[in-house]
Amino acid sequence: MSAVVLELDDIHKGFGGVPALRGVRLEVCAGEVHGLIGENGAGKSTLINVATGLFRPDAGTIRYTGRPVSFSTTRQAARAGIAVVHQEADLFAQMSLAENMLLGRGLVRWGPFVDWRATYGEAERIMSAMGESFDVRAEAGGLSVARRMMAGIAAAVSDRARVLFLDEPTSSLTLKEIENLFARIRGLRDAGVGIVYVSHRLEEVLALCDRVTIMRDGETVETQPVSALTMDRMVAAMVGRAVVYEQRRETRAPGAVRLRVERAASRSGAFHDVSLDVRAGEIVGLYGFVGAGRSEFAQALFGIEPLASGAIAVDGETLAVRSPRQAVRAGLAYLPEDRLVQGVFRTHPLRANASVAALRNLSIAGMVRARAERALAARIMREMNVRATSMEQPIGTLSGGNQQKVVFGRWQALNPRVILLDEPTRGVDVGAKGEIHKLIRDRAASGAAILLISSELPEIMALSDRVVTLSEGRITGSFVPGADGEEAIAAAAVPRATEAGANTAAHPRPGAVARLLRFRALGLLGFIAVLSLVMTVLKPAEFANARNLFDILANAAMPAIMAQGAMLIICAGGIDISVGSMMGLVAAASALAAKAGAPPLACLGLAIAAGAGCGLINAGLSLAARIHPIIVTLAGLSIYRGFMRIVTGGSEVMQLPPGFRAIADGLWFGLPKICYYVIAATLITHLILRYTLTGRRVLALGNSETAARLIGLSKTRLTLFVFGVSGAFVGLTAVLASGYYGTVQANTGEGMELKAIAAAVIGGCNILGGRGSALGTLLGAFLVALLYNMLILLEASSYWQSIFVGGLILMAVAVDALLQRARGGGR
Amino acid sequence: MIRRMLLSREAVLAGVLAILFAGFGMFVDGFLDGFSLFERARYWVVPGLVAVPMTFIIATAGIDLSVGSIVAMCTIVFGLLYSDAQWPIAAAACAAVAAGVAGGAVNGMASGFLGIPPLVATLATMALFRGVAMGLSQARTVSDFPESFLWISQGDAFGIPLGGGDTAFVPVPIFALLAAAALGWILMRKSWIGRFAECIGENRTAARFAAIDVGRMTLALYTACGAVCGVAALFNTALYATAKADAATGMELEAIACVVVGGTRVSGGQGSVPGSLLGLLIIGLLRYGLEMAGVKSQHVVIFVGALLILTAVFNEWMAAARTRS
Repeated sequence: MSAVVLELDDIHKGFGGVPALRGVRLEVCAGEVHGLIGENGAGKSTLINVATGLFRPDAGTIRYTGRPVSFSTTRQAARAGIAVVHQEADLFAQMSLAENMLLGRGLVRWGPFVDWRATYGEAERIMSAMGESFDVRAEAGGLSVARRMMAGIAAAVSDRARVLFLDEPTSSLTLKEIENLFARIRGLRDAGVGIVYVSHRLEEVLALCDRVTIMRDGETVETQPVSALTMDRMVAAMVGRAVVYEQRRETRAPGAVRLRVERAASRSGAFHDVSLDVRAGEIVGLYGFVGAGRSEFAQALFGIEPLASGAIAVDGETLAVRSPRQAVRAGLAYLPEDRLVQGVFRTHPLRANASVAALRNLSIAGMVRARAERALAARIMREMNVRATSMEQPIGTLSGGNQQKVVFGRWQALNPRVILLDEPTRGVDVGAKGEIHKLIRDRAASGAAILLISSELPEIMALSDRVVTLSEGRITGSFVPGADGEEAIAAAAVPRATEAGANTAAHPRPGAVARLLRFRALGLLGFIAVLSLVMTVLKPAEFANARNLFDILANAAMPAIMAQGAMLIICAGGIDISVGSMMGLVAAASALAAKAGAPPLACLGLAIAAGAGCGLINAGLSLAARIHPIIVTLAGLSIYRGFMRIVTGGSEVMQLPPGFRAIADGLWFGLPKICYYVIAATLITHLILRYTLTGRRVLALGNSETAARLIGLSKTRLTLFVFGVSGAFVGLTAVLASGYYGTVQANTGEGMELKAIAAAVIGGCNILGGRGSALGTLLGAFLVALLYNMLILLEASSYWQSIFVGGLILMAVAVDALLQRARGGGR
Repeated sequence: MIRRMLLSREAVLAGVLAILFAGFGMFVDGFLDGFSLFERARYWVVPGLVAVPMTFIIATAGIDLSVGSIVAMCTIVFGLLYSDAQWPIAAAACAAVAAGVAGGAVNGMASGFLGIPPLVATLATMALFRGVAMGLSQARTVSDFPESFLWISQGDAFGIPLGGGDTAFVPVPIFALLAAAALGWILMRKSWIGRFAECIGENRTAARFAAIDVGRMTLALYTACGAVCGVAALFNTALYATAKADAATGMELEAIACVVVGGTRVSGGQGSVPGSLLGLLIIGLLRYGLEMAGVKSQHVVIFVGALLILTAVFNEWMAAARTRS
């Protein structure tokens, strides 16, 4: 075998006192495929994270090409040549595949601008070096998992990765796609890359890998050449252990069937055709590996996601469970898998966390009986043996095990008939584990039917009366611990690839939303054309003349420029509602400066700088306080307006010098001057958003803050940038407005923020961030101005404008939200 | 511990209040005139009423920017039904509250069930409802309300003798405010409504998993806010003896400022109604003192805005310090 390129030597890593890695040793050689296998919780993910720079080890050395290294970010490790491709990677869903591949490393540029032809070409080149060719321009969110993963691998490889970790690469792939992936992997191996293939699919590991390392309970148990291994040997090494949990209690004949599930199938494709029964007093273990669909199953029973088909019956009564509340009323209880994210209200006291499920039952006429609540909390603390100084402690200060006990205990007061436990002892220390096991047995003894999901085979063996294995969303076996051994159970749980590919959710509908929105610009143009036609028919004299058209253009111009800035801010995931007042303030300041004799261009410069400054202040305060910009900009709305009144002394600023007015007023080549500013602003924004690295990064930030952070983007810098640019546009608009109308009044700029935001969302900007179009925004602003003009000509009163702008924003955002939901949730 | 923290927060607020009082009292002439102070307190009732449901909404990590517009819409509905349609006052009042319920329900549906961020939804309805108010009123104002109605805002309950033969009169609307605050406090601290609202703000996912109906609670809270805006509209109309469409302009800033100054974090997770009440007093006294000192009312709003930002920053800083310790 060739040289060792990556070596993990005696690595230790723990979280909150619970060790995840205990003296792990791993050697990866250049030009080999090294399999890494182990049960859930064996430590594979932590090992990957330590090796690729996400975590620093508590002890031990990492040696890369012979030298000890220490990485502080995954970006650093990737640049050194150690990369990882996850199946569930955070991605920038609304951006192209090419960008997802290249944004972290750098898009190809031509001077300061992004060279798209070259960038797409580079992405295609990378893909074809892997032997793939598909549309790198496609929106990443609409692509199948297989494609995204290939792209990820290709990008890592082109980044000169010498060690590549593949984390569960095949769980959502079809057989054909897996064949393809294997061919690529073999190609990489032959080219000298060291590949670590982490998977539960033991057959695949046997077929693909040169050597295999087996992990168990945070340790690397053994490393063998694949020729020395068989399936049975691997399973035995994965699960065979000295640790034996206290064996079960006296066998009692289980009672009547309490939970009956028949042919349940999920909408997302996570599980199909699952049927099982749990009797009173029985503990049924549900064992399987990651991606088997266990949590999805339990959550579907609990009403988190509705079933696509199948029936659930509790105590003989068929149920339609569409929400957790209905599930609870039917006697079900669910202890979530991820305690922090799904279970705990961290800053709330222990008492509140314990009583939340039973709170309504503890109330009379809506009022919680405080003494009853305290009694319940005390009872739970006692029964669950929760160690805490007082029940008023915020639950976040308790250890993981104690937190888990509280969340478990939360359901006790309701005396649930069926208890669904999802990894009840994950991340819990050994002592607490034993206590939780006892609690589970007690619950069963008192007659509840218990479904126990666990990745820890010894735990399942010790607690369950029966063990059902789930693999790739289907039940693959039913076992009795004692009669059947661990290896038989583990073998049944080992996932195998299927013809169709397990997870249909991994093949979402291709960019339906993206397609719809590309047509948005055309649709807007069409709509504008139709409206114009209608108006020409209704009011031919008033509408279809140059004067009116100029009016529309003028009224569209100011909001159009400001809308470009608003769109940039929304793309980054923020919002600024103070821009109207900001405009008033800057208009007053620059107008007064002009009257005092400053040259017009200096006033323009002052205005743009002042606007940018205000924008930077808005951004800076929000970032420093770590609060959403809404609060700062809400205050700014009043503060800027107040300063404006101080500056103007409350009176109108009139009789502006002609030189100043000439900036905005008048015609150039037959068109009003302001049109040229609008075109310039639109072009600049389009340029920024589409052709500069900063613009692409802004979109990336709006798409996924976490993914952006992972590739090293600075939220601070990008936020300051968009607010600054928006402020500059506000400054420009301020000068244009005062020049064009010849006056700055107390209400100059009022309501502009609404028009700007309306124009942006109508134009296709995603209110949640990550997508925007300069052209769309321009058309949106024009449409709003056209509608206002229509209202005036049809002699509708001015209040209709307010109704319209509010209604338009609501409609545009609602339509977007519904479209996203139809596409399948998220972005 | 949270409660203890907030309790000390309320003590801090009371302290700030005392300092403000003392400060203005010493340096501003006429500030300590009990009579004027109580008179001024009348004007705190409307934002104060709205600050109560706003506390719940912000505790869920939401926000409602449309409260001022809902008040305007309700005041116009009230005025027009009473004056044009000749409805009896009580019926017109009920209709006004119903209009508030409708407005709040629109917000609640958008945020709770359509998945529109409350910020954007209420920004849009802020414009929408204001337009509706203006549209219904057709730029008219209604002013011929009977004395018995005006009494709810302009009347005096009883007098408190001050030294020197003067008496200060406690305005009637104060009792409405106190009643609303008491009800709000009970709901937030003693009922499952407040508890669930705090849970939703603290961890929305965990709230769902704990079988809290997040969508329905959101709808209920925004609708209740709308209803309270309707009631506040009645007091507003009585106070100014007029129903006009530009009523309560800028009130959203005041109401939100009361809640934030009162200690409720914008990121949600806990809410304090007494805190919001103290926040109301602080802002009210601040405005009053500044105006007495000669600062123009349009400039006073700068101080309110600055106070909002400062306390929001402070709230987050305190929370970060607490988790660090």
